[in-house]
Amino acid sequence: MKKVAFKTLGCRLNQYETDAIASQFQDNGFKLVPFDKEADVYVINSCTVTHQSDHKSRNFINQANRKNPDSVLVVTGCMANNAKTELENRDEINYVVENDQKSSVYSLVEAHYNGEIFHPTKLNTDLFSYGSTDKGFHTRSMVKIQDGCDNFCTFCIIPSVRGRAVSRPIQDILDNVKRVVATGAKEVVLTGVNIGRYEYENYKFDDVVEQILELDGDFRLRISSIEPDGFGDKFLGLLNHPKMTPHLHLCLQSGSDSILLQMRRMYNIKRFKEIANKIRSVRPNFNITTDIIIGFPGESDQDFEDTCNIIQELKFGHVHAFKYSIRKGTRAERMNQHIDERIKSNRSEILRNISENVKADYRKGFIGKYQTVLVEKIIGSEAQGYGESYVPVKFSGVNLKKNQFYRVKISSIDFNGEPTLIGVSD
Amino acid sequence: MRSHKVIEIRNLTPSTYIIRMEKNDFTFKTGQYITLGFSGSIDRREYSIYSSEQDDYLEVLIKEVEDGLVSKKLKRCKSGDYLDIDGPFGHFSLKENEISKKKFLFIATGTGISPIHSFIATHPDMDYQLLHGVRKEEEAYERESYQNNNYILCTSREKSGDFHGRVTDYLKQNPVPSDTVCYLCGNCHMIYEAYDILEKQGINLGPIHTEVYF
Ligand SMILES: Cc1cc2nc3c(=O)[nH]c(=O)nc-3n(C[C@H](O)[C@H](O)[C@H](O)COP(=O)(O)OP(=O)(O)OC[C@H]3O[C@@H](n4cnc5c(N)ncnc54)[C@H](O)[C@@H]3O)c2cc1C
Repeated sequence: MKKVAFKTLGCRLNQYETDAIASQFQDNGFKLVPFDKEADVYVINSCTVTHQSDHKSRNFINQANRKNPDSVLVVTGCMANNAKTELENRDEINYVVENDQKSSVYSLVEAHYNGEIFHPTKLNTDLFSYGSTDKGFHTRSMVKIQDGCDNFCTFCIIPSVRGRAVSRPIQDILDNVKRVVATGAKEVVLTGVNIGRYEYENYKFDDVVEQILELDGDFRLRISSIEPDGFGDKFLGLLNHPKMTPHLHLCLQSGSDSILLQMRRMYNIKRFKEIANKIRSVRPNFNITTDIIIGFPGESDQDFEDTCNIIQELKFGHVHAFKYSIRKGTRAERMNQHIDERIKSNRSEILRNISENVKADYRKGFIGKYQTVLVEKIIGSEAQGYGESYVPVKFSGVNLKKNQFYRVKISSIDFNGEPTLIGVSD
Repeated sequence: MRSHKVIEIRNLTPSTYIIRMEKNDFTFKTGQYITLGFSGSIDRREYSIYSSEQDDYLEVLIKEVEDGLVSKKLKRCKSGDYLDIDGPFGHFSLKENEISKKKFLFIATGTGISPIHSFIATHPDMDYQLLHGVRKEEEAYERESYQNNNYILCTSREKSGDFHGRVTDYLKQNPVPSDTVCYLCGNCHMIYEAYDILEKQGINLGPIHTEVYF
């Protein structure tokens, strides 16, 4: 039996796409092995959002090659678009597959083993032909609804590596959700690059969400990462639906209006707060998580302080912060006033402390309350999974099963590592 | 990406020019922008569309920026050259149901007047006032395109405009009725300040639309 190993970097969309490709390999008799084990095929689904992600991708390429120099090594994802020539010039890499051909990675490897010479540019370029991900690595089933982005934020390379925004036909999405729910998925996660800008015929993002929520079945819906523009009050209203999980990853990027303008973000702080407050007015412990860029060109001490303050004010459940790094070809590359690396590191440290405190406080708020936990892992009599609010929970009980919902009363928090809620099932 | 043939260049000032190109089958919503560069070149920049939806050509209004790479190169293009266009992009657009009903205030600095020109040329019957912030009077690009008493030129370096000072000074002295729909386009410092002023005057977030150039 041939073995295949995957490494995914970057966003959830990449994770979804890896899962779907992995399912295809498994359906065709491949055994999935961890990336640090010897395999016949290595697939690296890369990211290029920061310098660090490029660096990580390169390390994984080296690692795969060391484990088995005779393996078939495929590099796909955003770095394959952004640094194609560099990657193609490396002998150890067999195939460099751009994003729009990613869904054909399996066909490419199959052809390789059949002795056919296949150039990746000849592959199918359907952005949505991934099939389902039920054999993937998670109990959550991701459904891709959209790809690409036209927002052109000044720091961002995504429009040039993922292309123009394209939305998947609504009927395809509904069929996909029905299919994964019928095969046992309990949590459906909508994914894409800029899902709030979904637009297909007359259907907007809130129409897609509404129609999914109306489908039958024992499942809950999670919206992954979303930009704070492009949706309206109808969507906010849908957040109260019983099938909807009380969690949004709403990308803020900075707490300063003048930085937001220079990033060409399409909202200001007032609008962001308005959204957050509207959501929390109905569900006070709604989990809002976010992304922050530290040290964008021109970020003053005051701008940075504004960011720290808003994190505390809005009590984000989690902050994914990263230091600004220049991406070639973006508008921000050409800006003046780039920030010294030491200042960025210093600010990162400050922000990390603040976010950790805020996160700990947020999670303490669950003590004495209930979460409905979808079990992902069982070790002895202890189950682990995520509650509807997307907080990790460990609990004990009898006869626990994977991929089932359990109502768990939270009694404490384990602060060892990632703060995890501890409870007992009803 | 599409290649469009240049029809003519119109110089408005020593540094500002309009490129008129063949439209071919390109369509857009007034207010949107394109990215533009010489055919085959990797250096591309965003430019708002200056012409109207119904014009049978495509125009952009460009100011040559000091030490600017693309704005300088484009100035040298000639009729018959080919430029690569990608797009249209952007969400800086009018709402269909407001166009004939609402009162509009457009605030632009420099070439930020470009998408506003397109708005007005596309919908000549709109009820609007236009504040145009520039340094000198010569930058009142094609002022004859606007009905005279709807266009207010704010000049910061000369007293020759309709108002001497920045658009933000004008706004402070001339408060805006709160039911006005505002569109702001140009440099981000103006947008940042003007936004603040408008908000204090009671224009709430909904009706303020912005497009940042730099
Ligand atoms: C959505 C959008 C629409 C735009 N529409 C227009 C338009 O209709 N007309 C137009 O002339 N420009 C427009 N711009 C600006 C344009 O895209 C370029 O940034 C500008 O032409 C400068 O490019 P460059 O290659 O010549 O300069 P670069 O080589 O990129 O920059 C050189 C230096 O000039 C500074 N700079 C960049 N842009 C400006 C500017 N506009 N004014 C003053 N300094 C600047 C830079 O910070 C840098 O220091 C728009 C920008 C955006 C984001």
